[in-house]
Amino acid sequence: MPDVSGTKRITDVGPHDYHDFLHPVIKNNYGKWKYHEILSPAHMVHVSEAGDKIYSVRVGSPRLVSGFFIRDLCDLADKYTGGYLRFTTRNNVEFLLDKEENIEPLMNDIKKLNLPLGGIGNVVANIVHTQGWIHCHTAASDASGVTKALMDDLYEYYIDAKLPAKVRIAFACCLNMCGAVHCSDIAVLGIHRRPPKLVPDKIINLCEIPSTIASCPTNAIRPDTYNGKPNVKLIEEACVFCGNCFTVCSGMPISDPLNDGVSIWVGGKVSNARTKPSFSKLAVPYLENDPPRWPKVVEAVKTILDAYKNGAEKGERVGEWIERIGWPKFFNITGFKFTKYHIDDFRLGEATMNYSAQVRQ
Amino acid sequence: MPSFAFNGKTIETDDEGYLQILDNWNKEIAEYLAKEEGITLTEKHWELIEWVRDYFFKFQVAPAIKSLIKEVGKLENLPDKKEANKFIYELFPEGPAKQLAKIAGLPKPTGCV
Repeated sequence: MPDVSGTKRITDVGPHDYHDFLHPVIKNNYGKWKYHEILSPAHMVHVSEAGDKIYSVRVGSPRLVSGFFIRDLCDLADKYTGGYLRFTTRNNVEFLLDKEENIEPLMNDIKKLNLPLGGIGNVVANIVHTQGWIHCHTAASDASGVTKALMDDLYEYYIDAKLPAKVRIAFACCLNMCGAVHCSDIAVLGIHRRPPKLVPDKIINLCEIPSTIASCPTNAIRPDTYNGKPNVKLIEEACVFCGNCFTVCSGMPISDPLNDGVSIWVGGKVSNARTKPSFSKLAVPYLENDPPRWPKVVEAVKTILDAYKNGAEKGERVGEWIERIGWPKFFNITGFKFTKYHIDDFRLGEATMNYSAQVRQ
Repeated sequence: MPSFAFNGKTIETDDEGYLQILDNWNKEIAEYLAKEEGITLTEKHWELIEWVRDYFFKFQVAPAIKSLIKEVGKLENLPDKKEANKFIYELFPEGPAKQLAKIAGLPKPTGCV
């Protein structure tokens, strides 16, 4: 480590300018690209107006990675790409090459490391997921565990483009959602089903009362006194189990091993190709946590994916396919039950444009 | 749970060193916590610690950084907010609100600095 004693620490400098890290070919042709072509599910080429070519080789990563894994990737990048690689938004690794002859040996070396090559085109993309039990305090389910179980089962769809269109799967371990479950083709969302349990002694010592009250989106937390000291009370009927209060006040734990679980949502997308972007809609309201392999979640996702693969026309995303055949038919094909939880009855819904007697949209 | 021994008493803290029980705080412990943070407490520090404790027991919330800077401006006669900001960062270099709350024995504030 460099000796920094005696020097003043400089903070607030912001992130480094990303232009400094761009591949020279990308830098020279910035904003001047002609077309791109998908050569296989694992690699593609971008061609610029000047005729320069840049190849990307895509490799899956588990998102929570070790230092050893990063070093392995960097060694490969040093050997074949001049040190240029990037992580995509769905946690894939992309090696950027300007020499076509390096692709083959790079892929061979990646195979030697047992990393999956794929993820481009009409595939199940790598699952974007949240922290889960590894790190997060509000988690209603594990993230990397479910993701691993799911991806083990969907591996064939990652390395091979066998689907009508691309399928984005996301996982979020609570509804505050660090993952993109609101707009993914298939989304798995951890849910709490019981309000937080108040521990008054802890709240007095560890919490700022006004911040705790303000953290509640539905005003379910109200001021109260306990042993003559300021404290809070909870109106349980108004609680939507979001866990915001536990984030600011550790005296209100919400995790509940018995009642926490996951729900499955379908049909969201971000792109505005063909149809406008759409939010995911509820398919399965609750599946219990079943570590270490979550077989019921895997089965439900597989059911949706198989129905989609068999039913959709080429180029149709999951949401577009369901809109075409209709939601009743979607529930028929998949065999999921339509329950009271599928009806949008959020009591503050009248304040939003989302309020109607329709099925949750 | 992490803790430290102080005058024959075990004082519990959270992972980041904030006291778990408000009543455990006293001036000697404040000195100890400040030492852990690498700060030697001066007159100026004590003025702020007392003010922030008064504020907390009045409102049950640590002051926002904005009102903290305002108070420093008043105490030190620094009408310029930037000067006051600089002054308080010199007293508590690792983030004034958090370090101040920690040394004053208050719960971890929900803000960023």
